[in-house]
Amino acid sequence: MQVFLQTLIGGITFGAVYALVAMGFSIVYRTMGLVNFAHGSVVMIGAYAASTFYMASKVPFAVAIVVAIVVTGLIGLIIERFLRPLENKDFTLMLIGTIGFGAVLEALAILIWGATGHAVPSPVATEPLNLGGVRIPTYSLLVIGVAALATTMLAFFLRRTKLGAAMQAVAMDHEAATACGIHVGRSNAMAFGIGACLAAVAGSLIGPMLYVNPTMGGTLGIKGFAAAMLGGFGSMPGAIVGGIAFGLLDAFAAGNFQAYSELVTFVVFALAVMIRPTGIFGEATVNRA
Amino acid sequence: MSTLTVEGLSVRYGGVRAAQDVTFTVEPGQSLGIIGANGAGKTSTLKAIMGLAPRQARTIRFGDDDLLRAAPHTLVRRGIGYVPEGRHVFPGLPVEKNLLLGAYCRTWKKTPIDEVYDLFPVLGDMRHRLAGTLSGGQQQMLAVGRALMCRPKVMLLDEPSMGLSPILVAEIATVLKRLNADGLGIVLVEQNAKLTFEVTTTCLVMENGEIAATGTSHDLRHDPQVRRIYLGL
Repeated sequence: MQVFLQTLIGGITFGAVYALVAMGFSIVYRTMGLVNFAHGSVVMIGAYAASTFYMASKVPFAVAIVVAIVVTGLIGLIIERFLRPLENKDFTLMLIGTIGFGAVLEALAILIWGATGHAVPSPVATEPLNLGGVRIPTYSLLVIGVAALATTMLAFFLRRTKLGAAMQAVAMDHEAATACGIHVGRSNAMAFGIGACLAAVAGSLIGPMLYVNPTMGGTLGIKGFAAAMLGGFGSMPGAIVGGIAFGLLDAFAAGNFQAYSELVTFVVFALAVMIRPTGIFGEATVNRA
Repeated sequence: MSTLTVEGLSVRYGGVRAAQDVTFTVEPGQSLGIIGANGAGKTSTLKAIMGLAPRQARTIRFGDDDLLRAAPHTLVRRGIGYVPEGRHVFPGLPVEKNLLLGAYCRTWKKTPIDEVYDLFPVLGDMRHRLAGTLSGGQQQMLAVGRALMCRPKVMLLDEPSMGLSPILVAEIATVLKRLNADGLGIVLVEQNAKLTFEVTTTCLVMENGEIAATGTSHDLRHDPQVRRIYLGL
């Protein structure tokens, strides 16, 4: 029982990060119908930006997260600006463009930080909380708290603000949104920017839990992508549920199958998607005219 | 004056010509109908005016504004409302939010939303429902209401009667006549010639992308050739 609860906490912690990554995938997909394959690499840049700044300047971790958000937010805007001319011409090229940007970011990381990576000390040094024999690391609480805060802020933005409503309108109908006076390109840029900010939060949080290195974006990107699919691609609640579900799956597979854990995780994921291709909260396939 | 002037407008999709040399003017308070069969170039004409289709024209002007140089999303701010074909409401958003988005270019504290609810009481009753759950007629009213939210001077409507029952078509006609009488300029694209003749004073008949006939709606309604080709009488 204790082991089960311990695994549960670990799974939810990683799940919260996967959920953030999945939300970044989903917000771009909802708005533009585009899978941003550079997203994993943006997470990696976020992890580097936050950890480097945190370790070099000894500022509070929260400040480091904000710095990472600014850095990756800019990268998101740059990627969108480069891809925008392709939007109405060649959608496949745009998709390939995101893959290219992913490779560029990875190469940049190697140039700046080297190929080997670095470990990041935990920003909270206190003892784990002991709850009836189950040890809850304080950092887990921080991760879950920050992820919940980011999710709440995003939900508030989408539901309660004019810009958020405009972004949803663009996601539903480009032509009608334009007729309402909404600039579709600007809205897409905002989606990309927000996606990149979410990536920065995810990257900052995962830094102290993993080893920060230039290839971490690949693994995190795939897992976040899988989480988004599991929940229903493009759905925000789906991204959260999918992220947590994938984190739990990951944690329990690691606990029970050791070396085969990744294999088990993705086989279960593949089966789940075969049974329900649209994911948990998925609507019928989103088609883009 | 806020006159919408279109001169020599052509639309081409690749090598395919959808509309050729379309010319007309509409002032606030005037109403123009564009009728014609499927594929005659009516929808392409409206889309091209909105900047949503590849276009070439000598002039597209609204008052003093050169619309050929205007970005599509700025047209609503300049006073042109657009109701696209097939309704195009935002299905996943509530009715009220759909309407508010129509006033995107204004502050949301001062919108004519109550006037729209006055015009279409059914929308007021359903303001919290998701637009995608409304019936076809209600969605059409929502699309018209949304276009009214920015207080346009001229409104372009693309087949508002499509898929509606005769009762709803009559209701839409009543509303359009009322708006027109209140000073709104109307460009009504329709396959339903009866509705168009009822709502508008002037009409263009389009055929194969070109204007085949022009006249007052009253004359065209009684023109034997138009009756034979477009009304099947």
